[in-house]
Amino acid sequence: MASSYMLPYAQQAPPSYAHPTEASQPRQHHWSPYTENGGVILGIAGKDYVILAGDTRSSEGYNINTRTARKVFSVGSGLILGVVGMSADGEELARKVTRKIDDYKRNHDKHITVSAAAVMLSRILYQKRFFPYYCQPLLGGLDENGVGAIYTYDYVGSFEREQSRAFGSAAALITPFLDNQINLKNQFVPGSNGEQPKQAGDLPRATVEKIVKDAFTSAVERQIEVGDGLQLVTITRAPPRTEEEADDDDWTGAAISVELSPLKKD
Amino acid sequence: MFIARSEYDRGINTFSPEGRLFQVEYSLEAIKLGSTAIGVATGYGVVIGVEKRVTSPLLEASSVEKIVEIDRHLGCAMSGLQADARSMIEHARVEAQNHRFHYGEPLRVESTTQAICDLALRFGEGADGEESIMSRPFGVALLIAGCDEDGPQLYHAEPSGTFYRYDAKAIGSGSEGAQAELQNEYHSSLTLPEAESLVLKTLKQVMEEKLDSKNVQLASVTKEKGFRIYSDDEMQEVVSRLN
Repeated sequence: MASSYMLPYAQQAPPSYAHPTEASQPRQHHWSPYTENGGVILGIAGKDYVILAGDTRSSEGYNINTRTARKVFSVGSGLILGVVGMSADGEELARKVTRKIDDYKRNHDKHITVSAAAVMLSRILYQKRFFPYYCQPLLGGLDENGVGAIYTYDYVGSFEREQSRAFGSAAALITPFLDNQINLKNQFVPGSNGEQPKQAGDLPRATVEKIVKDAFTSAVERQIEVGDGLQLVTITRAPPRTEEEADDDDWTGAAISVELSPLKKD
Repeated sequence: MFIARSEYDRGINTFSPEGRLFQVEYSLEAIKLGSTAIGVATGYGVVIGVEKRVTSPLLEASSVEKIVEIDRHLGCAMSGLQADARSMIEHARVEAQNHRFHYGEPLRVESTTQAICDLALRFGEGADGEESIMSRPFGVALLIAGCDEDGPQLYHAEPSGTFYRYDAKAIGSGSEGAQAELQNEYHSSLTLPEAESLVLKTLKQVMEEKLDSKNVQLASVTKEKGFRIYSDDEMQEVVSRLN
């Protein structure tokens, strides 16, 4: 039967309930609770610092929702969380982690360690195993020895402590750059005749900052979902406590600083 | 002692006009009937000891369990109604394992004590939505020994839900005499063997039976070995050191 909705009204056959019409057909409903808002985050851990950076563009397809969306959050107790994927889920996850870190401090009268927070985040993600948060998180902080730590996760809570990691729509562009510049993959000591691999060492923070900024300016050139601004968050060891701070419960031993700089907006 | 006994000692969640909860106060009395338990905290670890009342020569002494493990780094000695302690210990064990699951680290000693005391007040009709598990207050006091990042610690938890941290504490029938003895003998630089001897010496003074390696039990919690109940050989060694 020709679809009745294609005919002018006057030519339409009188309603005949014996034959199925478009409206009486079973209709496929769909529900899509997830969106992809693009962007990229990058975390690098040093021997006494952590850098977690993200671009500030939030997009849906070819549309830009905002050029000032932050993807890296301070979640309390000197820890930071970067999230990329669906920004609503990312922000919800950051709120939840912030809340649970605060609860931990109240219940146990101490700041949570980055390793304990890492397990906690894994459990939070797995709790939503069958309706996961649509975001990839990077957790950063200084460990018990003041050494930088980056914990990386998949959507349902598998996690690992790593030296450097990029997540998001330009991860595929940035990862080989990190392999080359941070981990010195497939590079050998000159004159060793390809025998002695270069050791990935402790890079000074200023060098790593430059590498991070280069990674983002390059990603912006090739990925349309990345751009607008760079939010660069750094954790360093706080200076030794003064006497007034001696019994300050908020003192974590970590100092968090945020730097915003422009990226190309095209 | 309780001259003003009235209908107010029936309702377990009813204050008397003088502002007392009689059933809670009576539960504290139940502990004073229990066997003596002593804990001593040193910089090297915590030693806890209990007297086992071996009431009959036919009683298998090893079946009297008054010191139990909560987690690898947490132990507990009890005085009062043994059966009541079981549900508190079970609760503490679950809390300790839950914490390991959620945070990948051992539960702190103070948090464990707090968890036990949260349970201690859940008697009576139970508030809205919260299931009550006990019809009356628990009739047992616990000495909770443990080691965490703040070092070895000893806590005392009561049926009233209050807890305090102690350097050395005695509970049970001989607690008054024992506590006075501990106050005289305790100093902050005790070694672990000295603490073992102090616990046994104090127990010996307040016990009705003659102390031997069968009617007392010792356990320790140290950073290196965690919670450990002393074996028969070790008990014998510590007891012989006493004489």
